[in-house]
Amino acid sequence: MKPKDLFRMCIQNLLRRKSRTFLTVLGVFIGCCSIVIMVSLGIGMKESQEKTLAKMGDLTIITVNAPQSGKGKSKLDDKLIKRLKNLEGVEAVTAKLNLDAEVVTLLAGSSKRFISDWASVVGIDTDEMERLGYRLVEGNTAHRSGEVVVGQYLAYNFRDTMRPEGRNMVDRWSGDMDEEGNLTNVPPPYLDPMKEKLTLEVESEGNKVTLPITAVGMSKEDYSKGGETSDGIMMSLSDLRKLVEKLQGNKKKAIPYNSVLVKVTGIDQVEGVEKEIKSMGYNTESMESIRKPMEQEARQKQMMLGGLGAISLLVAALGITNTMIMSISERTREIGIMKSLGCYVTDIRVMFLSEAGAIGFLGGLIGCIVSAAASITINLVSLGMDPDNLLPAIVGGEEIQRVSIVPPWLLLFAIVFSVFIGLGSGYYPANKAVRIPALEAIKSE
Amino acid sequence: MSPTDLRSRPIIEVKDVRKEYPIGDETVVALKRINLNVMRGEICCIFGTSGSGKSTLLNQLAGMEKPTRGEVRIGGVPISRLNENQLAAFRQKHLGFVFQSYNLLPNLTATENVALPLLFRGVPRQQREAAARKLLCRVGLSHRLDHFPGQMSGGQQQRAGIARAFIARPDVVFADEPTGNLDSKTTVEIMDMICTFARDYHQTIILVTHDPEMASYADRIVTLIDGEIIRNEVNQKEKSQ
Repeated sequence: MKPKDLFRMCIQNLLRRKSRTFLTVLGVFIGCCSIVIMVSLGIGMKESQEKTLAKMGDLTIITVNAPQSGKGKSKLDDKLIKRLKNLEGVEAVTAKLNLDAEVVTLLAGSSKRFISDWASVVGIDTDEMERLGYRLVEGNTAHRSGEVVVGQYLAYNFRDTMRPEGRNMVDRWSGDMDEEGNLTNVPPPYLDPMKEKLTLEVESEGNKVTLPITAVGMSKEDYSKGGETSDGIMMSLSDLRKLVEKLQGNKKKAIPYNSVLVKVTGIDQVEGVEKEIKSMGYNTESMESIRKPMEQEARQKQMMLGGLGAISLLVAALGITNTMIMSISERTREIGIMKSLGCYVTDIRVMFLSEAGAIGFLGGLIGCIVSAAASITINLVSLGMDPDNLLPAIVGGEEIQRVSIVPPWLLLFAIVFSVFIGLGSGYYPANKAVRIPALEAIKSE
Repeated sequence: MSPTDLRSRPIIEVKDVRKEYPIGDETVVALKRINLNVMRGEICCIFGTSGSGKSTLLNQLAGMEKPTRGEVRIGGVPISRLNENQLAAFRQKHLGFVFQSYNLLPNLTATENVALPLLFRGVPRQQREAAARKLLCRVGLSHRLDHFPGQMSGGQQQRAGIARAFIARPDVVFADEPTGNLDSKTTVEIMDMICTFARDYHQTIILVTHDPEMASYADRIVTLIDGEIIRNEVNQKEKSQ
């Protein structure tokens, strides 16, 4: 038989018992809906967790530290950087050098009106900043000598020498907090470091160095990369090295890196790369240690929800089997007639399997459409019933946490799964149909 | 072998066929030892009362059941030894059936029913339905082409059944009490139709019946009693006509 004829026959047979077909499809539809909605809630949960974590820091950054014991063996040096860069899954690597001095003062403004009595100064590979995932709220990354990137909240470290003692600093934390713990009504600082001339004064072991710097960019706070992204200064490694060498004066000492930042290509790479670095004998830190248990918990919940949904689809599968068995016992004679007219056994099997598969497909398709609509409704309700929220409810957004997320793969999976459930539950009835002998056609009623 | 020899070779050869059915602990012998040859183009009537084994013999001939012993050959092919798929292919090409209770599929129209054997062969829809319509017109159902079996009388259904049996131009058509459910006037029409088709295309008909009147249409009458052939004779009356 031609596939086209098989298809026509399949549709014809399904339409013969409309109410029965409808009820069976309804069963699959409910099962499919429950799976899709349950899993979408699980995905929504996972995503909002990840978004919360991502606010705390970049999830794909691994910080490498030298081991406490076994000194001299595993040093943080350029050789290691080179090795790390060649690891699979690594996007970018930078060494981090902290300025270690007794006094680090930052002066700003005309006639040095604003003074910050302490500043954390860090040297990194500024050319790699973008690839490392440093996000800037303003300006560009530093490329030339003397250029620096300052932390988002550096301005709050300055005191104004023109104001009376005790009221000469702005407290960033004096504002209010919203439900999610974000600061609101943050008071503005006295100055914008991007617009002022900055001077760095460093004193160590009796040596004093003064260095004029220009802020060309302002980084977004990200603790996975270090506190300097909040209120410090990031300059190129070579600039910082020169500074330290000047401070050391005549005593030439090797300047070891304090840590190394490794950016991996994706969240799934973190665990593997971290393991590899550990096996080289270094200590590592990343958000993975927080993210992993959270993800595991989310996955467990997702499995639980999906399992609940799967049960209803399983019940629907029994419905399909039941429908098919009934249909076959009704059509025993027909099958006998078809066989005696020369219908191939395989055609009979395909005929019944396709009927069962079609029921699964229809149920899956309707289930997907309805559950996608239900998911949008759930999101709309949680975001507030506003026409403006319709698009975010469907596609989501950077700052929007959706309760239910239905990715395209989930819909595709649901349809394919429903078809398989249909085929699976049609397998036994189809085999039953195949075994009906041609002799049935001759038997008198 | 010369062409004459080929033609003179029987199309159906039944050799030492025995059929037993287990019923409970006992074994019932339905066919004892059947030997039968049917020539190409012959209308052969298997005649017997109920319980004589005539239906069992038909089942063996058409490959519906496997004989306990012996062999059935149609056109030289040992159909009692074919597997299900080979049998389906063989039926498509060489066998046709006319049933007592018509056995049209209730959800298909007359045209679709008649086209069914061609559908199983994979003939495109337009082509097979054109052939079906042509044949339906020939059996006088030009006004019932798109009717469902439920909308037709018994005689009309059986005419569609005959069209279905002959549409694929089979070598052998098995007719199992084809007029068992029909009145005497329709019986004559139906039998004439079957015989005309068979003569036109030089096809072989195996006619199973318990009605002595039906036997008069046959070239050869095989009488069965208790699973044995007791008479196998050429119908003189028919021949003399």
